[in-house]
Amino acid sequence: MKLIFEKSVKARDGYSLPKDLFDEVDIKSCIPAYAATDAKKALSEVSEVDVIRHFTKLSKFNYGVDDGLYPLGSCTMKYNPKVNEKLASLDNFVCAPPLAPEETVQGCLELMYDLNKLLCEVTGVDQYTMAPASGAHGELTGVLIMRQHFVDHDDKRHKMLVPDSAHGTNPASCTMGGFKMIEVRSNEKGTVDIKQLKDLMDEDTAGLYLTNPNTVGLYDEGIRDIEGIVHGKGGLLYYDGANLNASFGIMRPGDAGFDIVHLNLHKSFSTPHGGGGPGSGVIGVKKALIPYLPTPIVTFDGKKYHLSDVGEKSIGMVRAFWGNFAVLVKTYAWILSMGPDGLGNSSEASVINANYVLAKLKKYYRPAYDRYCGHECVLTGRDYKKYGIKTLDIAKRLMDYGFHPPTIYFPHFEPYAEETIMVEPPESESKEVLDEFIDAMIKISNEAKANPELLKSAPHNTRIRRVDDVLAAKRPILNYDDELKLKDELKYKDEDINF
Amino acid sequence: MRYIPNTEEQKKEMLKEIGVSSFEDLIESVPQGVRFKRKLNIPEAISEAELEEKIYQIAKKNSGFFLMKPLIGAGAYRHHVPEAEKFLLQREEFWTCYTPYQPELSQGTLQSMFEFQTYIARLTKMDVVIPSIYDGASATAEAALMSFRLTHRNKIIISSTLHPHYRKTVKTYIAPHEPEIVELPYKDGLVDIDKLEKLIDAGVASVIVQNPNFFGGIEDLAEICELVHAKGALLINAIAESMSLGGLRAPGEMGADIVAGEAQSFGMELNYGGPYNAYLATRKQFLRQLPGRIVGETVDADGKRVFVMTMRAREQDIRREKATSNICTNHGLNILAANIYLSLMGTEGLYKVSLLNTKAAHYLENLLLKSGKFERVFHYPFYNEFLLKSKNSVSTLSEKLLKNNFIPPLEIGKFYKEEGLKDVLLFAVTEILSRQDLNRVAEILAE
Amino acid sequence: MAAKVIEGFYYTQTDEWLKVEDNVGTVGITDYAQDKLGDIVYLEKTEKGKKVKQGETLTAIESVKAASDIYAPTSGEVIEVNEKVVEDNSIINKEPYGEGWIAKIKIENADELKNLMGAKEYSEYREE
Repeated sequence: MKLIFEKSVKARDGYSLPKDLFDEVDIKSCIPAYAATDAKKALSEVSEVDVIRHFTKLSKFNYGVDDGLYPLGSCTMKYNPKVNEKLASLDNFVCAPPLAPEETVQGCLELMYDLNKLLCEVTGVDQYTMAPASGAHGELTGVLIMRQHFVDHDDKRHKMLVPDSAHGTNPASCTMGGFKMIEVRSNEKGTVDIKQLKDLMDEDTAGLYLTNPNTVGLYDEGIRDIEGIVHGKGGLLYYDGANLNASFGIMRPGDAGFDIVHLNLHKSFSTPHGGGGPGSGVIGVKKALIPYLPTPIVTFDGKKYHLSDVGEKSIGMVRAFWGNFAVLVKTYAWILSMGPDGLGNSSEASVINANYVLAKLKKYYRPAYDRYCGHECVLTGRDYKKYGIKTLDIAKRLMDYGFHPPTIYFPHFEPYAEETIMVEPPESESKEVLDEFIDAMIKISNEAKANPELLKSAPHNTRIRRVDDVLAAKRPILNYDDELKLKDELKYKDEDINF
Repeated sequence: MRYIPNTEEQKKEMLKEIGVSSFEDLIESVPQGVRFKRKLNIPEAISEAELEEKIYQIAKKNSGFFLMKPLIGAGAYRHHVPEAEKFLLQREEFWTCYTPYQPELSQGTLQSMFEFQTYIARLTKMDVVIPSIYDGASATAEAALMSFRLTHRNKIIISSTLHPHYRKTVKTYIAPHEPEIVELPYKDGLVDIDKLEKLIDAGVASVIVQNPNFFGGIEDLAEICELVHAKGALLINAIAESMSLGGLRAPGEMGADIVAGEAQSFGMELNYGGPYNAYLATRKQFLRQLPGRIVGETVDADGKRVFVMTMRAREQDIRREKATSNICTNHGLNILAANIYLSLMGTEGLYKVSLLNTKAAHYLENLLLKSGKFERVFHYPFYNEFLLKSKNSVSTLSEKLLKNNFIPPLEIGKFYKEEGLKDVLLFAVTEILSRQDLNRVAEILAE
Repeated sequence: MAAKVIEGFYYTQTDEWLKVEDNVGTVGITDYAQDKLGDIVYLEKTEKGKKVKQGETLTAIESVKAASDIYAPTSGEVIEVNEKVVEDNSIINKEPYGEGWIAKIKIENADELKNLMGAKEYSEYREE
């Protein structure tokens, strides 16, 4: 589609400013020569009408949860309640400056304080920091807390254990935390290889990152042994909460022995994904680790709420100000709307959904592990290789049936998790929707054998066809000016741009 | 529950098709010893109407911020957010979708990111732009880490006029590297360039300077860059108030190597501190060391021009422990917010509003100095924030302002403990404040 | 589907090959490796004069979906670098054993070659 720059008309504008521009103030006397510029920076020149049409049209190239099933494994694309959006947009919240005097933001502070209490109860830990802005950000915060804990105890450790099934952010976070990542294998059941864990865990290892259920959607039956082994050598247990949707009312990470927990509020807690955020990756810890939390946290003195300094052992800050407040409001509203039964029902419904899809599709797409799963199941496209079909082709063909594809190629660890198709149908998906999805997947399975070309050149029915990502990497055009520099080489026709 | 469609009847049906008699069978691998056996001790579910009432009541415990004009900035600025922007953001196709991993279903998100990358490249005059890191502080921290990777040096100089939260965040992020951290003092409200000359050496990876700085001061970035480059170090320009890019000389023109900019001023509401969005802009040769997602242009099977996330091999899902950063989910929707804002403001609008901020700020400073109740502590050129020492009690002043629906300026002593900054206030002025407002402020403070 | 291997070459467990001629070793990645990577989009230029130990990182290579380090099959100094494949990465996909060579190393210690696999051994290793 045409870029906003290609729609610009000289001298057209879309802004609204007061008439009084303080013209009597001589700008030259305000800005020193070394910082002054005569040239206006070239943005676009369009009207408000143009902007509305441009972005409205752009939106129609997207697919959201409100359009249909979005079975991305590990992403928990559940329904985003609309009332929560309204409540997060209340003026008193939206217009609150983060550094406003405490007495003017008692509402914000009360909400954060109450949310902390709720999250602690739901997950079985003692205190949350609302600072981290995403799961990965939470992981970084967590790894820094772990580091600080050992530094504080004069027990410097250099290694961190991460399962081979872990989400890529886990090892990346370890590195950012200054630890050497040591991979722990999965066993043939798909869970942590206890024997190897025992061999690897030592007094130079800070601890273990675990997602439970893990990324292949399996609850780890060895969790108590794992806890014993890691704590036994003075290590800490970190819970990657990306898959919490399988555990509400079933298992609390705090009870299972985890010392640090991160939650993805934009996953299990229903806040919208926004095309890649903003989310929130709040971190909860057990009492012993509270001194290391990033500062400040919200406290209550019986009468007023305060932003209180954590203390000198705090790791510092991981972002400016206090947290993604707008996301916290939605989380709070969701928990209040669900209540204890609603939360339990979420997990129950999502686990049943995932097992239903697994049961219906396993003879068409050999699962990574043939056992009951949590809230997501991992099928594979392995058996279609002989028809020359890659899992990618299956995913692209699914778009022609009106679905957003599941997560593909993740997790990836041989020999079981290969050519993976990770399907997560959250509790907000109905049986009929799942049946439609299952039906489409079966049709594609038949097409793969009878007419593989259909898959290899898919998608056919979407607004654009399959994208050449190799070309994008080989010939980087990362903004419109890069394109302009290559104009003669590119030779786009009008229909290539104007659609 | 209205968000969970499947009925008990349907669940029973599904369990039957799965081949189990009860839900318990599905979760039997969760050991009994860790099973949560009681009821969660949280309030029972409330209805939508009850929820609205409850949250409204909580919101009421805040001040009526919409009609209160802030004289405070310090990293979060109240600018006018156009209604057209707010309206567009609510479209479910933007709001409820996911990271654009499947480009065939996400051209809306991807093209918007590409447009934003273009805007920021032009505003900063840099070659490549990462459109989203969580905020200015974390972006600055990522830039610091990037500078260690690029130079293989382990010393960093951090300006004391870098936003205190940004400074703390940088120190937190770089702690595992155990670098030598040198503080660069200020002189008369700006970076002490003479001191910098003495401090910089061939062991320094980078120097972090905020411009405009925390006091609102406009730095001579070109001169600073010369000194920094002479020793083979990198200059990281942190920006807390991106509105300044509209009317001031671009950092890329002045020699900045990495720009870590908080884009909140471009169409993001204050939201009590977040979510905002920051960009990282740098030179072409540093591209591979950039953290975060970037969008590139390509074609589809029909030859149409399309957009896709690219240079992905830097990212965590591919590189894992060797990734440039662990960042995954960023602040996607806020990229769109900033993009729409900049599209509405356009070339003319951004330039005008950027300089309006400066002129209005100078107008207020003038009035306050004329009143005799304030005096300057430093003499430095400023963008839209300035320091003034109050001759009256600061707390009385704050109270008076609040009573009159103005949010008081920041008491700089909260962050800077030096004697010379006692009773000094950091005023911020944006286009939200009209001439009448500013006259009224001066009146109140002159009493 | 068996990936191609060349007789007479040495192989590493990390899928590099080494062709030895007069105490100089030419290094590249195997057919299995290029197939696994997919279309290569970036090859970091190996530093001429760089001294490496067997098993140390020589350089890095990227495709759209993967990134990998290339490890030195033998210790020594890098005496020549193939500029052509830095310019046009697709040569590595098309001719991983011929024109797709990456660097030449002056072999420091011929004993180290014992640690490498032969064509048959590597074939079996990758057959699993």
